[in-house]
Amino acid sequence: MIILRDKCSRCGKCSRYCPMNAISLNRSKKYFEVDLEKCVECYNCYRQAGCEDDALYPQKLGWPRTIRNLMSDELSVAEESGISGRGTEEMKTNDVTGRFAYGKVGVAVEMGRPQVSAHLIEVEKVSMALAKVGVEFEPDNPITSLMADKETGKFKDDVLQERCLSAIIELRTKMENLPKIMEAIKEVSGELNTVCSVCVASKLEEDGTNPSLAVLDELGIEYRPNPKTNVSLGKPFYAFQK
Amino acid sequence: MTHSLHRVKGQHGLDDDFVVLCMPSKDINHEGSGPKLRQFLELALEHEPSNLGDARLGNRWWQGGLDKMLDNIEDRAVVTAAFNDKAKLVSFLKAVKEADLGLSVVVSGLVEHVAECCEQAGVKRHTENRSLKIWGNTDLLPSEDILSVSTMCGHAMVPAHLVEYMIKRVKNGRMTPVEAATELAKPCQCGIMNIDRAAEILKELSEV
Repeated sequence: MIILRDKCSRCGKCSRYCPMNAISLNRSKKYFEVDLEKCVECYNCYRQAGCEDDALYPQKLGWPRTIRNLMSDELSVAEESGISGRGTEEMKTNDVTGRFAYGKVGVAVEMGRPQVSAHLIEVEKVSMALAKVGVEFEPDNPITSLMADKETGKFKDDVLQERCLSAIIELRTKMENLPKIMEAIKEVSGELNTVCSVCVASKLEEDGTNPSLAVLDELGIEYRPNPKTNVSLGKPFYAFQK
Repeated sequence: MTHSLHRVKGQHGLDDDFVVLCMPSKDINHEGSGPKLRQFLELALEHEPSNLGDARLGNRWWQGGLDKMLDNIEDRAVVTAAFNDKAKLVSFLKAVKEADLGLSVVVSGLVEHVAECCEQAGVKRHTENRSLKIWGNTDLLPSEDILSVSTMCGHAMVPAHLVEYMIKRVKNGRMTPVEAATELAKPCQCGIMNIDRAAEILKELSEV
């Protein structure tokens, strides 16, 4: 996003909507400008500020800057997942896909969330740490497509300096691997210059028990009391077997 | 997409915060799902939602009105409704079950409330996604109370400084809490910003 300096009347409304604090008054104080290193091309300013001067201009994006928009604009649709947002169907459709069977867990590490953002070089630190313990990255996730090597979690070099509001590393694994995955995330998170929101998805037992919670309790890992829960209304219903 | 997860409690708590999402699955039941997704939102409207939206094409403000939003729903949309009350949630879940849309439905909220509501509505909890909180350099985060509002948009489109600005507007009497909360809901294209809860929190924080 850029601001056309000749049109800007310095109302500053657009700056209030920038999640990255990337819009500020220019040194000359004659117009507002966008710090393009900070800007993640989410278009929130463009959509929400209602600039009466028509000074906000979404410039044409080239590779790899297009990644910023894809991973930050909530209305962007990723080719891999086919849905808007930054991830996949994950557990939301588990009642029909059977993606997370008994004994399996899904782990997602959403880099930069909440509100901080992340450079892909930070995302790579986590993906490489996870790859070392042996995981299968979610193929439908657009972040996986940015990896040069899915075995090592190494990203393509030309994307590493791109920044996004958040980027989700998604993986599936066996429940028995959960402790070493959690340990790997814990270790690498101390090296991060950003934050990440972590979550674990699993099929509930017949009595409603979440089998991953016992593992997390054993590891001393805290979890929030407000999960999201698939409630079995999808059809055709996937036939889960123990 | 974990946009309805990771909502922060703050001093206000989470007792009045529920999000219900409906979506088809690619190549399993997405063909012809548009009218069913629309029906989900129409049912939600009968149960006094705090907010609702279409995560694919945007909320009612972005699309130019509720009718346009409903008319534009596509087969691969993800639609949502937020509620602030257990009774409304139960009643809505019963209606969705009765409608037999055949699409996946996900409920976010405090687990004991969600379990109770599912039981009363006659739906069975199937798969759960648990937030393990925030890791990394947490010194970079805004305060917990600001996050309790801003994290209601899971895509971070409600900046912390916009929340602070709205608290000031409420404090100096330029906006009511509901007006300010509605302004904060506009950037949340998915429609999961719970306007009632946001208004309560803005009111509480403006009185500090």
